[in-house]
Amino acid sequence: MEYTKKDLGSYNIHLIKTNKFKTVTVKVIFRRKIKKEEITIRNLLTSLMVFSTKNYDSKRKLTIKAQDLYSVGIGSNNGRVGNYINTTFTLSSLNDKYTEKNNLNNAIDFLCEILFNPDIENDAFKESNVEIAKTKARSNLLSIKEDSSGYSLIRCLEEYDNKSPISYRMSGYLEDLESITGKDLYSYYKEMINKDLVDIFVLGDINEAEVLQKIKSHFKLRILKKEKPIYQLTEKKTRSKKLFVKESFNAKQTKVNIVCTCNGLNYHERTYVLPLYSVILGGGTDSKLFKEVREKHSLCYSIFAYPNRLDNVLIVQTGIDKENFKKTHELIEKNISDMKKGKIKEKEIEIAKQYFETSFDEAEEDPNSIIDIYASIEFLKSDDLETRRQKTNSVTKNELVKVAKKIKIDTIFSLEGEQNEKEGI
Amino acid sequence: MKKKEFKNLDLSYYYEKLENGLEVVMIPMENKKNYFITYATRFGSDITSFASKDAKKEKKYPDGIAHFLEHKMFEQEDGVDPFTFFSQTGTGSNASTSFDNTQYICYGTKNFNENLRYLINFVNSPYYTDENVEKEKGIIAEEIKMYDDVPDFKLEMRLRENLFSALPRRIDIGGSIKEINKITKEDLYNCYNNFYTPNNMFIIIVGNFNVKEASKIISEELELKENVKTPKIKEIVEKKQVRLKKDEITGNIEIPKVAFGLKQHLKDFEEYDKVDLDLYFSMITKILFGGSSTFKENAIEKNLLNNLYIDGEDAGEFKIFFLMADSNNPEELIKEIKKEINKDSLDKETFERMKKVSIANEVRISDDVSGMVRTAFNDLLYYKEVIDDRVNRIRNLNYEDLMNIFNKIDKENYASIIMKPKKRK
Repeated sequence: MEYTKKDLGSYNIHLIKTNKFKTVTVKVIFRRKIKKEEITIRNLLTSLMVFSTKNYDSKRKLTIKAQDLYSVGIGSNNGRVGNYINTTFTLSSLNDKYTEKNNLNNAIDFLCEILFNPDIENDAFKESNVEIAKTKARSNLLSIKEDSSGYSLIRCLEEYDNKSPISYRMSGYLEDLESITGKDLYSYYKEMINKDLVDIFVLGDINEAEVLQKIKSHFKLRILKKEKPIYQLTEKKTRSKKLFVKESFNAKQTKVNIVCTCNGLNYHERTYVLPLYSVILGGGTDSKLFKEVREKHSLCYSIFAYPNRLDNVLIVQTGIDKENFKKTHELIEKNISDMKKGKIKEKEIEIAKQYFETSFDEAEEDPNSIIDIYASIEFLKSDDLETRRQKTNSVTKNELVKVAKKIKIDTIFSLEGEQNEKEGI
Repeated sequence: MKKKEFKNLDLSYYYEKLENGLEVVMIPMENKKNYFITYATRFGSDITSFASKDAKKEKKYPDGIAHFLEHKMFEQEDGVDPFTFFSQTGTGSNASTSFDNTQYICYGTKNFNENLRYLINFVNSPYYTDENVEKEKGIIAEEIKMYDDVPDFKLEMRLRENLFSALPRRIDIGGSIKEINKITKEDLYNCYNNFYTPNNMFIIIVGNFNVKEASKIISEELELKENVKTPKIKEIVEKKQVRLKKDEITGNIEIPKVAFGLKQHLKDFEEYDKVDLDLYFSMITKILFGGSSTFKENAIEKNLLNNLYIDGEDAGEFKIFFLMADSNNPEELIKEIKKEINKDSLDKETFERMKKVSIANEVRISDDVSGMVRTAFNDLLYYKEVIDDRVNRIRNLNYEDLMNIFNKIDKENYASIIMKPKKRK
């Protein structure tokens, strides 16, 4: 795998040459500081950009074109990374070997058509298309409670700190949706294309010079960007008294979310010790919580703990019968507190390290994960994979206990299932 | 052990059937670091009634027993938890139960030989006690409740209930809390001894491993394993017609949902090769309802459709196709679906393009370890052999057969359900 980066002032190109895959993957990532009031319009914009373009002016025509290019995959996604919002357009095309000469070239042209030739008239996205995109967005926003786990997490984070970006709903807000017009969308589009930080990643069996030339000819961005982003959220002071929130919900199962602050961690602790800590606590079928809450006490089917290092939190999630809330909560608290007291076995540490070693290996088997690694080196100044392996392996029990002591339960949220299922018990 | 090629995909595989009937498929991928192993039985939630070799009379077992058994395989007499065994080398493991199979999997990048041997051994060593059976009931009850809270899941269940009169897949794979509470360790041993036998099982291995060593381990562990006489399973007579054509239910939703299922008797398509027939069926679904269909375009423009999901399923002598969608105007959407399936002809140009799409899809799958496991798995389950010439088969599909099959489909044999939001108290 050979990696080259070209800094072109207004954007970066990252070329990753490898013959490992039968596909070529291109990701174009636009980044800017996240603002709550921009989430809804940005979601609408990205869905409109992959809905139609000037030359393919309906979703059907756009799909037919993608199918003609041997089913080239096109997708867009908005995700929050700490203080930033990343908008990613992904293209996945088969190598020409499996298609025909120039297919990749045409696929890249197609991606650029989507990015730079939007379906506008009179400086506005077409109102009829805007209506379609709004209907879809409205329907998704209204259906947000269908996924009770996702909804309970959203509500929990709003209770935790409703001012912080951690609480922003990435699906957007109904109250922002209705007033957005085709004109607003086009001016936001211009803002995004011209002012956002832009990185382009291309991975596959490529001719680097050709791809570089191709991208340069399409990406005529001119504004130089000197922004030095800070991704890490500011730490929120842990509540002196834990916040308990209970909300009733029309469901059989009760979803429990617990947010812990992890303040005062240094880079090494946040990047290497905290992930190991969370795998030991609740990373999977071998974790303390899985063994204690599920296997020993039969209280739940699934239970997880995971960190969000840029947000300075660790989150525990499970689904239980509402009658068992007290018992479950006590067990989770007990396990968190045991780890502070040093109750961590060397074997547990070893298993957690092995887990990461496999994740690092597997990351190299997937084009998207490889790009994510390079993106995180670029954006977050993360270490490369080899360093990550070494540093994860070097973590000691003392370091884990030190981090454990800084994990503090802040908010406990229970989305309580109203329907009681006592059938047959 | 025979080496064969997946034609046009630069990929080989090995197939072997041991004397006791156990089938083995190995697909080595030298450029990958990871591997995936599945050890599966053709025993799923569809079988709840059978006469074992010692018993003369057929016995009805509680619904959900296959799934319960899957959970209990992870209980081992030596006290070692299989999850822990695999985790020690960073290997992931899991299991899942479907209507017609149960599979045990492990996947990782290290310790292949030991993990393969262990996977076989743990699935070959049942250990059920009154105590450990009792303990599982609470865990599975939470799993059942978790799914019960998902509106799409409930709608899909209801669709199967209405499509079928007698087939056990009318009932949830997990059973019900009432039924699972009846399960005893004797029930589990009976099911295990009758269906976890070499002639009812198979192993699929894909990724980075040594074929010779894997083959040796499988022979050592399984060659001498004997079969018991396959139990008699009374044939379930399923009516050709759907049980209930039109239905309306309520759910915890904001936007109404539609489910539409077509039930086809495979006897009506006897003259076609099963693999080709499935390819044609999949083409027909894509042409009618896929991304580039006029149906989808019109339905979106008329605000009838959001989040369309289409799928097909083999159910013994039957094939079912289903569509699920969110819709602001469910009655109208159902009318449009009916209109679409009753069309006079299918677009020939779209058919040719769909061939390109399907071939591209085969290439992508052949580059993906878990994708190849799924393909080989379904091949063994539904065709009883590995299909290695799919690309050629797709190329050779012809429009006349497509139209003949389309015309043979009994378009009146459908079940449609509307799920409406519950009225607020």
